Amino acid sequence: MNVLLRNFHPQTLRVITLAVVLLLVIVFFVSQIDNYFSPRTLNRIASSAAVILPIAIGQAIVVMTRNIDLSVGSLVGITAYVTGDILAYAPFGPFLTLFIALSIGALCGAFNGVLVAYGRVPSIIVTLGTLALFRTFLVEYSEARTITTDSLPKWVVELPQTTLFSVGVLEVRVMVIVALVAALIFSLALWKLRAARKFYAVGSNPDAAIMAGINSERVVFTAFVLSGMLAGLAGLIFLARFGNITVVAGLGFELKSIAAVVVGGVNIFGGSGTILGVVLGTLLVDTIDNSLIRWAIVSEFWREALLGILIMTAVAVDTFMARSYVQLRKLVA
Amino acid sequence: MISPPLAGERSTIVSHPILELRHISKSFGMTAAMADVSIAILPGQVHAIVGENGAGKSTLIKILTGVHQPDEGEMLVDGKQMQIRSTEDAQKHGIAAIFQEPMVFPDLDVAENIFISHHNLGLVMNWATQYQHANEIIARLGITLDPRRLANGLTLAEQQTVEIARALSLNVRALIMDEPTASLSAHEVDRLVQIVEALKMRGVAVIYISHRLEEIFRIADTVTVMRDGKHISTKPISQVTQQGMVRDMVGRSINHFSMKVAANAHGEKILSVRNLTRDGVFSDVSFDLHIGEVLCFAGLIGSRRTDVGLALFGVEPATSGYIEVARQPVTIDSPQSALKYLIAYVSEDRRKFGLALNMPIFANISLPSLKKLLRLFGLIDRKAEIAMAESHRERLSIRTPNVTIDVGKLSGGNQQKVMLAKWLETEPRILIFDEPTRGIDIGAKTEVHNIIRELAIRGVAIIVISSDLPEVLMLADRVLVMREGRQMGIFDISEATQENIMALATGQTAAMSQ
Repeated sequence: MNVLLRNFHPQTLRVITLAVVLLLVIVFFVSQIDNYFSPRTLNRIASSAAVILPIAIGQAIVVMTRNIDLSVGSLVGITAYVTGDILAYAPFGPFLTLFIALSIGALCGAFNGVLVAYGRVPSIIVTLGTLALFRTFLVEYSEARTITTDSLPKWVVELPQTTLFSVGVLEVRVMVIVALVAALIFSLALWKLRAARKFYAVGSNPDAAIMAGINSERVVFTAFVLSGMLAGLAGLIFLARFGNITVVAGLGFELKSIAAVVVGGVNIFGGSGTILGVVLGTLLVDTIDNSLIRWAIVSEFWREALLGILIMTAVAVDTFMARSYVQLRKLVA
Repeated sequence: MISPPLAGERSTIVSHPILELRHISKSFGMTAAMADVSIAILPGQVHAIVGENGAGKSTLIKILTGVHQPDEGEMLVDGKQMQIRSTEDAQKHGIAAIFQEPMVFPDLDVAENIFISHHNLGLVMNWATQYQHANEIIARLGITLDPRRLANGLTLAEQQTVEIARALSLNVRALIMDEPTASLSAHEVDRLVQIVEALKMRGVAVIYISHRLEEIFRIADTVTVMRDGKHISTKPISQVTQQGMVRDMVGRSINHFSMKVAANAHGEKILSVRNLTRDGVFSDVSFDLHIGEVLCFAGLIGSRRTDVGLALFGVEPATSGYIEVARQPVTIDSPQSALKYLIAYVSEDRRKFGLALNMPIFANISLPSLKKLLRLFGLIDRKAEIAMAESHRERLSIRTPNVTIDVGKLSGGNQQKVMLAKWLETEPRILIFDEPTRGIDIGAKTEVHNIIRELAIRGVAIIVISSDLPEVLMLADRVLVMREGRQMGIFDISEATQENIMALATGQTAAMSQ
């Protein structure tokens, strides 16, 4: 017990708990909804999660540094729309398009990052501002037009249906793989890249980070650029998934991504969290979100309320667990 | 990959200093924090720096670590003139500091905490080698600590060790230790002394700042005394006596300590506390307080003295126990209820709990007593409010051109007086002071002490929470010692000495209580 607890990272416990909860939620919906466990349901959840996952990864990095990015929803909207608009004039191939989407996102993220890291404006204020700012820019830019499937290159339109491989009846779509690859890259980076460990350090103890000679400003700035870039990736996936883009694209994604992040065990006060947790958190959020539509007893308008409840519960549980962990440690020691 | 950082072979006797300060001066506004200070730090030696609060020790540390730049004078590293503009700069020159409150990353493990400052270990982490190197460095300090443990669960002493290991891994050559033992138990102090010996063997210069004189005699090779920002003396430890050191520190032949008036005759019992407990924080605190008495709470950081104070003032109410004010049982569950029983609390954290820095002096003073100033239609009588502030300004000699300037513009000592004025205006019967003289200069400190004694003479019952032992011994009629949330004993001032208070506070001899 002693040795076990000493070497047991609280995050491990968190991931296991989350996996169990996800399983219970699925079992619950299987018992409630007829024909729930179908390829259609799974594909729907997976495609929906493919959009949210990149945003949630970016959000997780920002939250790790003790900040928050509320502008991601508007950022998804901008990248989806502007990239679609560019493709309508110049039907680029996938890689150039990806580059464009990531650049648009990174640019907007850099704007947030400069204000937060170097301007020393609290991130909640900066990104609340840009949440509105980016959306308004999109409304003005679009002049109330809508991007439609007709104007997009064939590869974009076909992307949502493109299956990379199948596992039994389950078809694994390219989009889902793209999101998972992003998760894998960032998971590896946060674990193995020395520079990436600074995200944890800055969030864990900002004063100590300065004393340790870490350039906190640059670390926070980078977090916002990455968050923007990943929102850009989500924007591209969003564009491919829906084809028709209006000015409300990505509305409310900040709530979903924050839910996925805190449910996934990233400490809202910074310093800890894993991408594996975020993947599970995203799946949980999207499973609940997509299943409620089909659950007769509860109106689907409760979806947002449920997200809110999920966020509050997760943070409350976190706080409680953190306290118990320290006390348990004291007892053992 | 990680190259195991080596702190050099065992030092031979080298005569030239690693670090030298020449005629360093530094002022903040009108106050000179350091005036013409010259010190040389030799490798493989422990150089103790002693002085009272406000003597300029913290300014010295901040200049050495690049937090502040000196106004005048020069700094030499290895005999070459250098400027240290930032912590990173200091690190580059091999200068590091550890503080009373360790600077660790709670969410990272021990090994990462050690190597976080290394910027040249390659792009990719190799966790296995990192753990191995962490083990090597920890072993070099002659201790055991699992490098895989999260810093979150470590004791204060262990966290400190992590910081020393971090400094060592960076090839530290001059390590500043600021009050490193202030919160350690006797056993932990022994271990720290061992670590310091190990550092000396490796040729590291240790700049050791401590209030505990016995400790200085135990480990220091050289002692520098500072007072009021000035360099008073630097001597090898063999030529220093404890009395001489104290005389140098205090300046005026210990009269500072002897100004204590005879304990005045105590009046009636005003406060009676029995088995006061706040679950998980402190337990079973019991004492009586009489009119005109000063009771000091002594103990180390983390001994939960402040929590008892906060419980008596209702900020963080006790979960069980019994409180009697003027022989009436009372329940204190909020500051409002405490104020009803005329209990006031002068906080240690002036910025957080005590003062609205961006509001004028008079508004800060009148805040808890606004009821007295209400006139027709509930409007405030501004003239009376200013007069109220003026009377306190005179009585407490708050140095300010007028009472309408913002509190934030005053010096620490004067801010403290404003806070005192604020609570005096509520005419308390019981007044709790938490670290009343922390961070204020010696002059203001003496004034605050005089005010506290005077209040006691005028019939206020006073509790003083203080980490400053000379202050405790000077102010108290009785001393209550706490350790880790427990009451270790109560002394009458006639029996209290620095030694027996420290013994209880560090848990050296639990049997000594009673």
